[in-house]
Order: sequence, then structure tokens, then C-alpha cells
Amino acid sequence: MLASRRLNNRSLAALLRRCNSTAAEPPPAGGHLPSVATSQLLNATREKALRTPGLRWNDEDDPNIIVGAERECRKMNVYQAVRDALSIALTKDDNAVIFGEDIAFGGVFRCTMGLAEEFGRERVFNTPLTEQGIAGFGIGIAAMGHTAIAEIQFADYIYPAFDQATRQRGCKDSISLRRIVQRRWPYNSDPNHVCCTWRIYLPSFRTYKPLKGHGGLYHSQSPEGFFMGASGLKVVIPRSPIQAKGLLLSSIRDPNPVVFMEPKILYRSAVEQVPMDDFELPLGRAETLVPGADLTLLTWGTPIYHCETALHLLADPPPGLAPHVPESLRKAKIELIDLRSILPWDVETVTESVKRTGRLVIVHEAGMTAGAGAEIAAEVQKRCFLRLEAPVKRVTGWDTPVALQYEKFHIPDGVRILDAIVETLSY
Amino acid sequence: MFRPLTHRIPRRSLHTLGYLPNTTSPLVSSLSFFNSVTGGSADKIPTFRVLDGVGKPVDGAEMPEIDEAFARRLYENMQLLPTLDTVLYNVQRQGKISFHMTSHGEEGTIVGTAAALDNADEVLGQYREMGVLLWRGFGIDNVMAQCFGNQDDTSTKGRQMPVHFGSPKHHFHTISSPLATQIPQAAGVGYALKRARAQNIAVCFFGEGAASEGDFHAGMLLASTIPSPTLFIARNNGFAISTPSAEQYYGDGIAARGPGYGIDTIRVDGNDILAVLAATREARRRTHEQGRAVLVEAMSYRVGHHSTSDDSFAYRQRSEVEDRKRIDNPIVRFRLFMESQGWWGAEAEEELKARLKADVMKAFKRAEALPRHELSELFTDVYGGEEPWNITEQRNELKGLLKKYGSTWEPWKAELAKFKNKGADMV
Repeated sequence: MLASRRLNNRSLAALLRRCNSTAAEPPPAGGHLPSVATSQLLNATREKALRTPGLRWNDEDDPNIIVGAERECRKMNVYQAVRDALSIALTKDDNAVIFGEDIAFGGVFRCTMGLAEEFGRERVFNTPLTEQGIAGFGIGIAAMGHTAIAEIQFADYIYPAFDQATRQRGCKDSISLRRIVQRRWPYNSDPNHVCCTWRIYLPSFRTYKPLKGHGGLYHSQSPEGFFMGASGLKVVIPRSPIQAKGLLLSSIRDPNPVVFMEPKILYRSAVEQVPMDDFELPLGRAETLVPGADLTLLTWGTPIYHCETALHLLADPPPGLAPHVPESLRKAKIELIDLRSILPWDVETVTESVKRTGRLVIVHEAGMTAGAGAEIAAEVQKRCFLRLEAPVKRVTGWDTPVALQYEKFHIPDGVRILDAIVETLSY
Repeated sequence: MFRPLTHRIPRRSLHTLGYLPNTTSPLVSSLSFFNSVTGGSADKIPTFRVLDGVGKPVDGAEMPEIDEAFARRLYENMQLLPTLDTVLYNVQRQGKISFHMTSHGEEGTIVGTAAALDNADEVLGQYREMGVLLWRGFGIDNVMAQCFGNQDDTSTKGRQMPVHFGSPKHHFHTISSPLATQIPQAAGVGYALKRARAQNIAVCFFGEGAASEGDFHAGMLLASTIPSPTLFIARNNGFAISTPSAEQYYGDGIAARGPGYGIDTIRVDGNDILAVLAATREARRRTHEQGRAVLVEAMSYRVGHHSTSDDSFAYRQRSEVEDRKRIDNPIVRFRLFMESQGWWGAEAEEELKARLKADVMKAFKRAEALPRHELSELFTDVYGGEEPWNITEQRNELKGLLKKYGSTWEPWKAELAKFKNKGADMV
């Protein structure tokens, strides 16, 4: 089965190459500062990609597979990695279906390009324009033990499905009702099977494009905080192509309903080497991207790259910023952590880090009040009270809608993160 | 003022004006509003009936095929419902269970539809469909176990309110309180069945009030458009708690909406079990054959209160209810038919009532004496797979509190005694 998939992949190679060409970005406007296109956090080489921490191959028992350093990798952006993951999910699981608005022709962000042709319209199909319907339909499919991969076109439009997603989600368990509020346990004919994965485009901000952002109120939201109280659900946000593929395959195969949010800004801008084979990355585990001893910088999704910018600004501030960055702080070792799973989140990795560094800055795009950062800050102060040397600081979007022409001043960008680091280090 | 509407739209320009690309509707040159439901001379959707109020076949009745044994089984199940309901209702009044909802007045609808289905058709109900489970052999003991939430409650492990039944074995998806959420889920179940178990269909019950929810629209739309073999059964009993159906919709009931979705629709006299049986059998056949949604609206009257938390005489006359019980009782109507066939008599009636009452009382006494599940089940089944840290920690926190206060804090002490092992698994 896998061999045929490789053939199919080859036949789609031209298509992928064509898509790839759109990923080329002009040089960043910020001069020497890194952007997503030049980020050191992305895997530029095959060797680095194959050494991705936590990566678990899902094909080790396949005798035809080439293992070890010989494994094939390909340069992909995020939407291509998502498409690759979906293709593997459909190939290996005859009961998997993908559906949502406009996905049959390839999706408005190309994440399902060619899948309907390859796997048939019975498995990759359009739905009428109804988010609550899509979420409920997926639960029904999953209740029969099938794999439902639903798509909500923008995270901003998940709210009509909020009732279905937070109260009605079903999970594995052949006999009991999952309890929360009044959740329906759509019982399962196959108790070992999984529930619906809702892939939702997390539009995020587009400011890493050389053009100014233009998502406005309803193409920019980050609703992960709303789902954080929905016990029984998992919420996952990847930062890069390799993360998107590995975390999405884990999400699809997880025995729980997962809301998988894909940062839209990264669809084409984040490019790295991605293994072509079937692999997974663990849910519920954070990843330490840059080790450090003086301050923990915690984030997820797109702001990872704003944080990378901030670290450069700290070490080597341009003349305009230099007066605000004391010499004594420039050599500070900042530990950068990608949380990856918002629910359940990796309390162990975060608190272990904060106990070492004594300082924590949390960065997210959603507004501050009752955002995911609030939950994390409360838990950290409970567990690290005696080790904290400064208040936990949150750098977030303001508690306002994401107003179109004000975006540059709304987002938690490099300078705001830099300021928070400096303030926290000099507290 | 617009002139009265008619559905006789002039068609004389049909061939000259042609069609628009996204419809097969003929273009016309006369300005005329269309309303097939309330406009002018439009006919209401008729109600299918085969037995009159005294159990005699009406002229030209299309009687369903039944034999004596089947008729007796229908009647026994119709009688079992009020027997169980009366005991559970009184038991709630004595404070022995927290809540109950009766099916009084809808016995014909529920037993008639249940009998017309294949026992492996997947049923997604609202909450007044206990009769479907009873028809499928769920058993009185399981009904009692769920209502008492005792250790035998396999539906919900005592987590959900009474009458929130579920049983994978009986292809009955667990009930949940949020209205109409099961409707789009049913479409998803239907879709999965079409792919995996083509001999069966999904069946979805809901009341006329629930049909006002957005999920009704979503579910009907999905099951007709995608399409999915899903049989929708609307129980129109005239009331949603206190709201009469006249305040629920302005059109011709629920049935009139079916054709708008392109769905084959029938309205049936819900108090005529043979009409319900015949209509549902044909509706099931069509659903299966077309692989697409079909709608049945069963007209009845909610004789009982909405629930044990409702006194319906606050919004309707007691005499109105008494009249309906006397004039149009589905059980009496069918008994008269049975008697006319020589299938039933006073002796059989007496024997049945005594036997059912004895069975119900026996099950009630048994259920009352059983302890609840283990207290630690409070924390299980929230997630499948590995349990997240927060759930584990919170379970341990409650354990600690119970150790400290479990034997001295009276509200807990008394409650602990009701659980299996008296909560020893948590202390």
C-alpha cells in the first residue's frame, strides 16, 4: 500500500513543485533580522529533519521501507506538509474521510490539492456552508468508528460549531458517557477507534508577509483560549511544516477529538525539509527550541518567529533600540519553548524550565484576558512560587478585536517581546 | 397589499425566456410571489391515517401487514411505556430519582416507528424515545439502572440525568440534553453506514421545538445534499415545554420544510400506530433505496407534563388534556382494533397490566437497592488514552480531601455510603 502511495506521490511531484514555487518570499524588510523565510528554527537540511526531537516513525514494520539516514525528505511549506499528512491518513485508513467547505477542488489554502482526484469524491468532499453541521456531521462519522477529518475554513468561523465541538464531541469508550456539561458520548462500534479531528485554519496575522496584514476582525482570530476549558478536547497548534505533518498525523490517530489549528501566515512562508514517510510527533508535549538559563520564553504557532526576532534584537540590538537594551542583559540566555499542545498542555516541561530560569514570559496572539496565557501563568505561580524572581509577564494581542489598519500595533511582535524580556530580566 | 398567492404561476414565457444557469426554474415575466405553505389556496400537507378514533380502518386504508403475534408485541410495548412512566414519575415525586420525562400520549409514535425499523438501524434520539430501546430488548432493569444511576448503569455510569439512555448493543446512541445536536450527527452516522454497513440507515428523532434549532437546518441540509441515508422523525406533540407550536413556527408544521431540502416527506397521525408503522416502513425503504434523507412528521399530543420539573397546567387547561386523553388515546385506539380482530380481550388486558406492573416494581426495587459506580469514575473517560496530568492531580486532590473530611463532613459522609465500596477507592 505504501509503495503505491510513493508512486502517487511521484505523480504528484510536479504539482507539489508548482506549489512550492509560490513559497518563495522576497528578502525580509527588516534587513539583518531573521524572518520565517530565514529562520534557524526551520530544518534546512535532511539530516536535521530526520533528527527532529520526539519523531516516531509509523512504518518500521514495513519491509519495503528504507530506514535510517536514507529516508527521503522533501522541501515543503506548511500547506504541502498538511496535504502530505492527509494523503497518508487516507492511504493507510480506508475509513478516513475529509470534508468541509470548498475542499474538493483543493481548498482555499490548497491543503487538499489533488486529494479528491486521488481518493475519490466519496472520501474527500464538499459540505454545504454550515459550521455547526460540519462539526456535528464529523461527530456522527466518528461515532461509527470511522476517521472524520473536518475542516473549518477559518478559526474565526468555528463559533457556530462551538456547541457541537465543546459539548458534543465524542471520544473512544465503548460504554460510558464522557462527562462534561452534558456531553453526548456518541458511542463507538469500535471501541479502539478515534474521534473527529477538526482542522481549522488559524489565520493568525499576516504581518510576516512583506505586505501589511489584512485579516481584519474575522480572518485573524486565535480562539485556542476558548477551547482551553473544554476538558475532553485536545487543542494543537504547529509552528512549521515538519511539526504540522507529525502533529496532524498524531491528531488524526488520537483517541480524542482534536482541534488542530494551522497558522495561515505560515502556509507558504515556512519552508523546511520534511520526511516523506509516515511519522508522528507527540501530543501534550512542549519542545524546547533554544536552551537557556536566565528566562523562559513560552509561545506557540506564529509568534515563535517573533520570539526568534526578539532574541536577535536582545543579543544585537540595532542602534535605535540599543539604548533600551542594557549591555548587561545582551548575553542573557533565553530558553525558547514551543508549547505545541494547548490542551492538555505540558506543565512538566514548562515548570521544569521556569524553576531553572526563575523568569517566564508568555507570548500569544489572542487577547490577554482569560487567554491561554492566564491559565499557564496561574499554574506556574502555584508550582514555581519560591523560584520566581520576577512576575510572570504576558505579551499578547490587546483585549480588542483585531482591527484592520491597526494590526502592526496589535500583534505581540519582536519589539514588544524584547521589551518584556528586558523588563523581566531587570525586575 | 399583495394579492393572494397561488402556485399557478403563468408559464407562458417558458420557452422564450429560458433558464438561469443555477436553477431549472422557468423564467416568467409576471411578478408573482410564491408561498406553497400559507399562500392562498395552497393545500396543507395531509395527515396519513388508517384507523379511526375507535380503531376501525378508514375508507381505502393502506394497512401495514401485521399478524396477531406482531400486533400483541406492539400492544405490550405500548402498555409497558405508561406502566414504567407512572412508576418512575411517582418515584421522582418521592425523591428517589432526580428527574423523569414521560412518553404519555406518544406511545403510538414511538412504538410504531421502532417496530418499522431494522433493529440494527442506528438511532439518535432526543429524550422521549425510551420505547425504541424497549422494543429492541434493552430491558426494564437497564432503564431503572440509568434512572437511578446505579452500578448497573452502562449507559452513562451515573453521570447523566435520568432518561439519558444509550446502548451500543441496541444501536441507540446516548441521549444528551442539548436539543437538536443529534440531527447533523445523524447525517454523519448515515454517511458512515453507507460506506461500511449499507444494509442499515441512521434514524433521528426530535420534537417540533428542537426543529427550530440551527442544527435541524444543518442536519436536513447535509443528509439531503451530501447525501446520507438518514430517516428524520419529528414528534410534533404540540408543545415545547410551555410554548405551543403556533409560537414555534408560522408554516405548515415541520413536514412542509422537507421539500425545501429536496426531501421526501410524509405527515402521519401519531396516535394511529398502524399508520405510523406503515409510513415509517415505507420511509425507511425510501431512505435506504435513495441513500438520502426522508422526513416523517408524526402528529400527537403531549399528554404528560414536559418533565417532572414542569407543571403543564400553568399554561394549558387541565380539561384540554383530559379531553385529549379520553377522545384520542393511541393505546385505546389500537386495543379496539385488536379486539375487532379477535386478538385481544378483557382477560388478556388484565393479565398484561398485572404482569407489566409486577415486572416494573421488581426492577424498581432491585435498582433502588444497588449502589452507584465507584466514586473514582467521576474522573474516568474524560479522555481516551493517556490521562492528562490535570485530571490525575484533581483526582488525587479529592482523595486527599476525602481522607481529611470524608468521615466528618456530613454531606460527604452520607453521600459516600451510596457508592460502590463506599468510596474506598478514593480514600
